[in-house]
Amino acid sequence: MAKTALENLKLGIFVVLGTALLLFAAYLIGNRQNMFGKTFPLSASFKNANGLQTGNNVRFSGINVGTVSKIEMINDTTIMVHMIIEENMLEQIKKDAIVTIGSDGLVGSMLVNIVPGKGDVPYVKPGDELESYSRIATQDMLSTLNVTNENAALLTSDLLKVTQSLIRGKGTLGRLLNDTLMASDLQHTIANLKQTSMQANTAISELNQMIESVDFEKSAAGVLLSDSLSAEKLRNIILNLENSSIQIDKMTQDLNAVVGDVKDGKGAFNYLATDTLFVKRLDETLQHIEQGTERFNENMEALKHNFLTRGYFRKLERQKKKDEKQMQQQSQ
Amino acid sequence: MEAQQMALENNTNGTAGKGSRKAVIKIKDAYKSFGDNHVLNGFNMVLYEGENLVVMGKSGSGKSVMIKCLVGLMQPDRGYVEVMGREISTLDQKTLDELRSDIGFLFQGSALYDSMTVRENLEFPMRRHQKKLGDFSDTTSLVMEALENVGLAHAIDLMPSELSGGMKRRVALARTLILKPKIILYDEPTSGLDPITAKEIIELMRSIQKKYGTSSLIITHDVDCARVISERMILLVDGINYAEGSYNELSQSTDPKVEAFFKK
Amino acid sequence: MADRIKQFFVQIGDLSYFAAHFFREAFKRPFEFKELLRQCYQMGNRSLVLVGVTGFIIGLVLTLQSRPTLIQFGAVSWMPNMVGISIVREIGPVITALICAGRIASGIGAELGSMRVTEQIDAMEVSGTNPFKYLVVTRMLATTLMLPLLVVFGDLVALYGSALVENLKGDVSFQLYFNTVFDALEFGDLVPATIKSFFFGFTIGLVGCFKGYYSDKGTAGVGYAANTAVVVSSLLLFVVDFIAVFVSDIFYEL
Repeated sequence: MAKTALENLKLGIFVVLGTALLLFAAYLIGNRQNMFGKTFPLSASFKNANGLQTGNNVRFSGINVGTVSKIEMINDTTIMVHMIIEENMLEQIKKDAIVTIGSDGLVGSMLVNIVPGKGDVPYVKPGDELESYSRIATQDMLSTLNVTNENAALLTSDLLKVTQSLIRGKGTLGRLLNDTLMASDLQHTIANLKQTSMQANTAISELNQMIESVDFEKSAAGVLLSDSLSAEKLRNIILNLENSSIQIDKMTQDLNAVVGDVKDGKGAFNYLATDTLFVKRLDETLQHIEQGTERFNENMEALKHNFLTRGYFRKLERQKKKDEKQMQQQSQ
Repeated sequence: MEAQQMALENNTNGTAGKGSRKAVIKIKDAYKSFGDNHVLNGFNMVLYEGENLVVMGKSGSGKSVMIKCLVGLMQPDRGYVEVMGREISTLDQKTLDELRSDIGFLFQGSALYDSMTVRENLEFPMRRHQKKLGDFSDTTSLVMEALENVGLAHAIDLMPSELSGGMKRRVALARTLILKPKIILYDEPTSGLDPITAKEIIELMRSIQKKYGTSSLIITHDVDCARVISERMILLVDGINYAEGSYNELSQSTDPKVEAFFKK
Repeated sequence: MADRIKQFFVQIGDLSYFAAHFFREAFKRPFEFKELLRQCYQMGNRSLVLVGVTGFIIGLVLTLQSRPTLIQFGAVSWMPNMVGISIVREIGPVITALICAGRIASGIGAELGSMRVTEQIDAMEVSGTNPFKYLVVTRMLATTLMLPLLVVFGDLVALYGSALVENLKGDVSFQLYFNTVFDALEFGDLVPATIKSFFFGFTIGLVGCFKGYYSDKGTAGVGYAANTAVVVSSLLLFVVDFIAVFVSDIFYEL
């Protein structure tokens, strides 16, 4: 009998201990889900529950203070999340606290965060509905990141293409960048142009001086003009002058074309803009050309009014009229 | 064969006709078979109050099956089994248990509960039969009395594994007696025992019968046992009560099947 | 072959009958309370050391074996979660049940088998005690009630073994370990496992008692009963486990 009593005692200890263990484990688990202890309800409405489940933790300033007790679909855009919070939090959470749904780490489960407000407002009462803020969840963040990534990928591929074509020397910019020879050619051309225009300038000023000297020394000019040989010479000079003016005209046109080309190439413009020296030279050249042309014009006007050449111009005019007459007769 | 059968019936009727003794067990036309093995084939038997009846048969002849039918451990396929005026097959569990408390059963291998001490073994039948014993508080004295009857009072706190075969048999006998049954069924009481111990057991059985006036049905294949204890004998051959009579009558029979039992 | 298939179904049928018999008898008076306590002691307390040692080693080994992999993934801090959940949900109940199938089912099979062979069961019935109630119901109830407790105990020891490894190898304090474990656990882990343990206990008791109670005559039958009790109950445990996982899936969407 004594043995049985001892056995029963041991059995009793085992059963009590085992049951206590089981209950303790259940209590510990339940405690994490706030099944015991005093709690109070709070709620918040969201547009998107982001995979929140009942039983997920509720954190207030990063401390677990409760769990999600119920997720209710009010309508297709409103989801009411009910929470149970430890009762001692009644004196911590204020009415302007904001509720967000977040996740515990990148791969962690979802949770509800209650972020304390800044205002001086009264504490929440059981059953209150707090304001919610649908913060971008990891998921959204990732999807946004995805779009950004795609864009970046597109951009990079385009950039790659551009770089590749640049290397291969396609397009004006490419040519400019790569073809150093051409760039120096252009520079040469423009330098030549400048030289030419300068020479033309000197030539015209010399001519000007000569004509002025003709004007000043009337006797000499008279001798010269009465002399048919001299006249012949003068005519030649004027002819040459005309030729050179035509050439200048042509050159100006060419220059124009070059400048136009330069303007057309977007990259080239950039290049030209950076090369200030070159631009300056080009400017100078153009100024010279302008000056030269102006003076040439003046010379021509002076020539017209000069009595020596008046006859020649009249003759030219008559010839022109005659030609016109002939043209009219022919057409009649 | 035919004549003998007639004689048996006459004998039975004759004994009953004396009116001196009442039948406590009746078996009529019992059939029992296990598959193709027909163990009982129309067995008839009557046990009268206060007598010692020995049923002899070869091993596997259906003796144990017959005796188990008497306490409801087995049911005959067909036939009528009546114990103390009640037909076994019609009883519900409760009445059967009550009836069983009046029947002692000594099992072949003693069948002591290995996990219990001698005392617990003896107390075990009392668990469910408190009503019959009246005051249950005094189990120890009852246990002691039963053990003293078999001369093993000192072994009360031993485990069955610590007992010899003869002692086990005596403890089993004490357990059978503890409820003071009116009928005791002995299933091979001397099997597995040396002749001297067997003799002790047989003496014990006789003294108990004298002391309590119980009716005994003894199943055995041990001729010596039968000779000492039997008042009447039934030979169980081929599933029927082949021959019936006193030891002396049967031992002088010329029937070859009967003679086979008494050959040395 | 056809005979074997038939035999299989006959066995299943007999086993079901036996279980039904258990439920019929279990709620009927008289209750064998004392014997139940004795059996509870035999099966509960006597298995404690075995379950404890097994649980401890399982927890230890599981942690040691999974550490390198978790370290590779840089998730070694998840060890308590992983070990805790796997032990509480599956390994604890199954290992404990298998250990008990080996110890208890064979014990019951052999005990009842030898009682049947030596006619002790008959003797009991003759002396007015329902042997089914006294022997079978008490044992089946004892295994059913004790196994969940053994499982809880085994789980605890296994977790302790795991915590020990983490403590020595990973400098994780016991408090942090168990905090993490209980953070990871939910009722959805504990409740189905506990309910499952009851069924495991029932299965062990059922098969052990069935095999022993209907053991064939002869001492060879006892050995056979003990042997088949272990084999069949272990096999049936996995079937029950399989079903339990499906059923608990319905109640706890996991």
